[in-house]
Amino acid sequence: MTRHVFRFSATTAFAVAILWCLPARVAAQYEAGGQGAQARAGNQADVSTPRTADGHPDFTGLWARGSSGNSTGVDPNAPITVLTKGRPCAPGQAECAPGVNFERDSGVQQRMTSNIPVYKPEFWEKVQYLDHNGNAEDPTFSCSPAGVPRMGAPAQIFQSGDQMAFLYNQGNTFRIIRFGPHDPINSVDQTPTGDSVARWEGDTLVIDTLGFSDDTWLGWPGWFHSNNMHVIERMTRQGNTLTWQATVEDPDVLLKPWTMEMRRMQLNTDSKAFLLPDLPCSERDLQHIVTKERG
Amino acid sequence: MRHKFYGSLLAIAMLLSLVAPAFAHHALQAEYDTTKRGAFTGELTKFALINPHVRWYFDVKNPDGSVTKWEVTGAGAGPLRQSGTSRIFKVGDTYKVTYAPARDGSHLGRVVNFTFQDGRVVTLFHEDPNNPNDN
Repeated sequence: MTRHVFRFSATTAFAVAILWCLPARVAAQYEAGGQGAQARAGNQADVSTPRTADGHPDFTGLWARGSSGNSTGVDPNAPITVLTKGRPCAPGQAECAPGVNFERDSGVQQRMTSNIPVYKPEFWEKVQYLDHNGNAEDPTFSCSPAGVPRMGAPAQIFQSGDQMAFLYNQGNTFRIIRFGPHDPINSVDQTPTGDSVARWEGDTLVIDTLGFSDDTWLGWPGWFHSNNMHVIERMTRQGNTLTWQATVEDPDVLLKPWTMEMRRMQLNTDSKAFLLPDLPCSERDLQHIVTKERG
Repeated sequence: MRHKFYGSLLAIAMLLSLVAPAFAHHALQAEYDTTKRGAFTGELTKFALINPHVRWYFDVKNPDGSVTKWEVTGAGAGPLRQSGTSRIFKVGDTYKVTYAPARDGSHLGRVVNFTFQDGRVVTLFHEDPNNPNDN
């Protein structure tokens, strides 16, 4: 019995991990201009876009993996196992098992993008310092909020009338997006998620956010921002495909606006799936870290 | 052999869990010497299902009767929780733990595998075929 439980747990863990990885992999392929994500999106083209009573696209839905009682085992011989391959190892190379070098490889990969925010010359030294000391300086490493726009697209959306609720599976964060003018109080207070208001440009939802604290980052390589940051998110829904893209305007520190790579998510069509609350974050590693390596 | 296969699935699950976009983190090598292995047998006193890493706490009895506190970490909590793997560990049970040791010499390690009292081996690390200590 216990052996069966063990087999089930191991197989299910594998399945869940595969599902966990898919959005990231799809996004990566899309950002790299690969064909995989576009093919996936093409498969959704025949699905009609649901609309609200006023004719606008309805973004309501779970746009991420969720917990579900429908999980089943996976075939270990299925093509999905390709994802487990690590980088090629040189003969005799130490520490070359798949996964052991994941963070190192991830760090290299994240530095390979050419789409980086362009800082004013006087701030590059600060960016380099933050990047070099990211284990201690990156706010997310110590469980602080990633904030807008670093936390990316929402995991679940509820849309009703003149308000939308965005749920994120990162620290159980939520945002309330309102249609109308900025709130005179919330837009002045400085928070990781700011004050967000929305408008429609055709079928595109445009979210305007300001009122930020300056203790979140735009991205992993030390990309900081100021309190004067202004973020414009643009979202579309076509069938069961959601796109999200954010542009950052921060004239205090950036020479020009920076537009993040577009993220594309598929609707989770499992009717039993739900967003599992995130677990507490408690950083207990920093005191033991002896090098500056990260990923 | 089958234990090793299913243990490997768990290892893969943990490996893939690292790909999740929500978490960026320090390199394993910044905290642990992934080329070395240590082992102890102890009583599980606490299992912490937390981000960014799950943690197991143990009491290890020494030959002179004293107790040494040990702590081992794994990857993110999400996949373990959703798969139910987080619920296979029972406080009060005794486990043999193989780990990659912390570089700072503290009683801390990155778990490689657990050997349960009934002989099951659960691997939560990335087995390195080039490491003679990983058999």
